[in-house]
Parts: sequence; C-alpha cells; structure tokens
Amino acid sequence: MTSHPQNTAQNSPSGGADKAAAKQCLLAADRFLKESRFQDARAEIEKAKKLDPGNVYVVAFMDRINYFEAEKKKESPPPSSPPVPKPAPAAVPSPKPAPVPASAAAHPKPAPSAVPVTAAAPPKPAPAPVSTPPEPVPQAPKPKEPVPHAPPPPSPPPTPSEQKAMETTLEEMKRQIEMLSHSLEQEKKAREEMTKQQLQSNVLQLRTAMEKGWLNGAPNDEEAETLHKLAISLGIPENVEQSLRREVKLKMYSNAVKEVISKRQLLRSSSSTLEWLRKVYQVTMEEYLEYETKFLLDLVADQYKGTLLYVSPNVKAKDDLIPRLKSAGYAVVLSATPEEALEKIEKVNPNLILCHTEFAPGSLSGIKFLHLLRASPKFNFVPFLLLCEGVEVPQLQSSELRPHEGYLQKPVDVDELMIAMNEKLAHFRDYVSSLS
Amino acid sequence: MSKKILLAEDDEDNRDLVSFVLMRSRLGAELIIAENGQEAVDKAFEHLPNLILMDMQMPVMDGWTAIPILKGDKRTKAIPIIAFTAQAKPEDKIRTLEIGCAEHYSKPMDPEELITLIKKYITE
Repeated sequence: MTSHPQNTAQNSPSGGADKAAAKQCLLAADRFLKESRFQDARAEIEKAKKLDPGNVYVVAFMDRINYFEAEKKKESPPPSSPPVPKPAPAAVPSPKPAPVPASAAAHPKPAPSAVPVTAAAPPKPAPAPVSTPPEPVPQAPKPKEPVPHAPPPPSPPPTPSEQKAMETTLEEMKRQIEMLSHSLEQEKKAREEMTKQQLQSNVLQLRTAMEKGWLNGAPNDEEAETLHKLAISLGIPENVEQSLRREVKLKMYSNAVKEVISKRQLLRSSSSTLEWLRKVYQVTMEEYLEYETKFLLDLVADQYKGTLLYVSPNVKAKDDLIPRLKSAGYAVVLSATPEEALEKIEKVNPNLILCHTEFAPGSLSGIKFLHLLRASPKFNFVPFLLLCEGVEVPQLQSSELRPHEGYLQKPVDVDELMIAMNEKLAHFRDYVSSLS
Repeated sequence: MSKKILLAEDDEDNRDLVSFVLMRSRLGAELIIAENGQEAVDKAFEHLPNLILMDMQMPVMDGWTAIPILKGDKRTKAIPIIAFTAQAKPEDKIRTLEIGCAEHYSKPMDPEELITLIKKYITE
C-alpha cells in the first residue's frame, strides 16, 4: 500500500490539517481506483474516514469503489457472481448535513466523483450523493438476438494427433477425387474413341456400299435412294455423304478409265470412249478437269514406269519374275550374263538394273558387274539391285552399298522387290534433281 | 426375267472389253461367254439367248461355220446374231448378212455405238 507522508505525519487534532490529509487520502484513493487497485483505494478511504469522519464524500467514495469493483468482476471471466451494484451512497442517509469543507467550498463539485481534484474524469459517473439511488450506467440498447438459444461453445482446438488424422483424411479424399477425375477423363476419352471408331466404321460401311453401287456407273434412282437411306440409318451427316459420294464416283470413274485405256487398241476412239465413260459415271466437266491430271498420271504410272535391265541366268528358262515386272509397268530388257548386259547397256540406257549374283563358271559375278558399273561415269548412279542367295547376305551386309544400291535374298517376294525398286528409283530421282 | 446375250469371242481382252461395256450399259442383261464356235453353238442351245455376238475368226469352230448351224436349228434360228469381226470389207459384210446375221459390226469397237446396237435387239 502506498503511504502518504502527509497523512501519517499530520495526525494532529487540528481539524483543518486532518481535512487536508483526508483530502489527500481521497485523491490517492481516486488514483488507486483508476488503476483498479480497489483494496488500496479502500485503505485510503478508511484513512480519510478516520481523519475526517464527517466528510460525506468518504462514504460516497466507498460506494463508488464497490461499484467499480463489481463492474470489474463482471467483465473478467468467469464471473463468480453477478455484479450487484451497491445502493447509492445517497441511499444511506448522511448523519448530518455535511458542512462543505473549505477546500470543497473553494472547488465545489456537484458529484462525489468530482471530489478528487483530478484532471481526468473517472471512467463512469459516480452515483449521485443525493437521495436518488445510483442508476445503472446507461447503455445503448442492444439489438435483439434473433437466435433464442445461446451460440454453442467454441470447440477446443484439436490436438496434434487429431490434426494429423484430419490431414491424412484430407489427403485421402484428395487422392480419391484425383482418381475419380482421372477415371472420368479416361471414360470420356474411351467414349470419344468409340464414337470416332463407330463413325469410321459407319463411313467405311457406306463407302463399301457406294463403291458397289458405283462400280458400273452411276446408280439408278432406286439404288441411289437405297444408298441415301443407308447413310441416314448410319447417322452419317449429309455433307459427309455428299463428299463420300463424290470421292467414290471419281474413284470408280478413274478405275474404269484405267481399265478401258489398257485395252485402247481394241477401241475405235479413246476420246469418245472416255467421253462415254464420263456420262456413265455422271462426272461433270469441272470434275473431269479437276481430276484430269491425276487420271493421266495414274495412267502413265500404270503403263510405263521405266526400263529395267534384268540380268538373270534363268532368262531362257522363263523366269517367273519377268511377267510380273512387265505387268507392273516396266519395259524389261533381258540379259543372260553380265557380259551381255554390258553390251546392251549403252543402247538400253536402263532406269534400273536387276542382277543375280551367280552366273555360269567363267562369267562375271553380279558383284563384279556392279563394280564395273561403279567405274563407269555414265552408269555409276543407275539404281542396282542384286538378287542373292542366303549365304551371300553377310558379305553384302558388310559391303559398302550406296543408297541407290541394294540386295534381296532369293526366293524374291515380288511385293518386297517392288518396294525396293521404288526406293532405289526414288534415290535416283533425288540424285538427278540435285544436279539441276 | 433378264435378257441373255451370248458372246462368242476367243480373245480375252475383247471379251473383257465387251463385258466392261455391257455392265456399264445398265441393260441388266446376263452375259454368257463362249471361247469358240463349238462352245457358242452348245451354249446357244443350252441357254437360248436373246442375242448372239459372234466373232467370225475363232479356233475349233469359226463363226462362218457356227452361224449356219444355229440358223439351221429351229430352237435358235430366230435369235438375232451380230457378226463381230475385224473384217471390215464390204464383201465381208454382205457375206455375213447372207449367212443369216442381223448386223455386221466391225472392230475396233465404240462402246456407245455397240450399246445402241445391242439395245436395238434386246428391247425389241
């Protein structure tokens, strides 16, 4: 407790000194009250009461301390008991009308709260020291709570283990969501793929039917209607159907042109035959002109692909390969030996040489023939394919063949041979193009 | 019932070409093939076609021999025969008409012209 030297030192019976000391005690009590040091404030009030028992402010001040202490307890949780404001000091009748002290007279204060001469006002107005009981501090009316029940008490914070469990659950949920999303995506893709495949299958079905319908020319009205109904039943859009019809028509027409041109020596006039075919397939002049180049290229490709010098010991034994090469569009010049081929090559000027590796004793081998041609400035870049036995393959594999040279193992697969020939010819074309 | 056309022709390319043209004519006729005169006579008796296209130069039995046989048989004598030949001289034409051919068509062929000719006898 803070002591006040004035209070203790001046304990004389002199009324003026006591009153002054009592005033100091009241000031000290006021400070303690502001600091919520209620016990200290009471002690100061007790001192003031002893020094100046007739001071009405002492009793009022004590009530004020009680009031503020109760208010303070209300604010601090948990409240031990509801604050009950003490009856106002005015409720306690003063023993006698207190004479206004000189100091108080000099500084008249209307309320006990104003007793302590301080610049700062007390937090709340003190109850009036008069007969009216202290009213509760007016407060702004609180809005009515719509919820009749009190809100649930806040849940306690989770423990670390609970938090960890929650995180694990969340992770698991995330993983499951990702898996579901992935599955949905996969299913969507599968459905799209199925739809695409179904459409492709339907288009293929319609194409097959159209090719059959257009094989011998434009279908009649009844057949055309049947094809159109098929397209509708397959769910094929009309623009796709039209595009497909045009494609099939021109393909069938192109095939027919090729077929009839291959027998043009039996025809009186190729041009009138082609014109007749154009009508049969209902190909418009615009379509004909648009595709003319393609038709002509196809015809040329089918008719003549180049001159082939075929060097084979089986020439006289009617090599099976020869008719296949001719039917593929090659002009085939035969030589029974490399020596014979060397004699013919200047005149033939071949686009490709096809040569067996082994010949009769005393004759050049195919490989030796290749080496001789490599030394020739005119023929060293002519595509050259060797037809070898299986035992010769390792040797040829290790040899340094150039891009336009190659070999095939016997017995020769014709399709494989055609692919190899086209490949070598492509190399030769590239080489010739590079010269220009 | 579809119409039947008998083609007697020894050359495969010619057979293919006539077949090609007939299929694209959309006449809806059935084509019966014979590779020589004897086969033509046999198939004519068997199928009784509506029209016969007869090459005059064929192995085994040529058209000059086969046509009189067909015209001499009551089953086939009414069947119109078109002489299908590379022999384009006027006397050849007269000769084919003399042995009973309805028409003389000279090779090489013109598809549109041939179809027109065939239609003349098929639709009658």
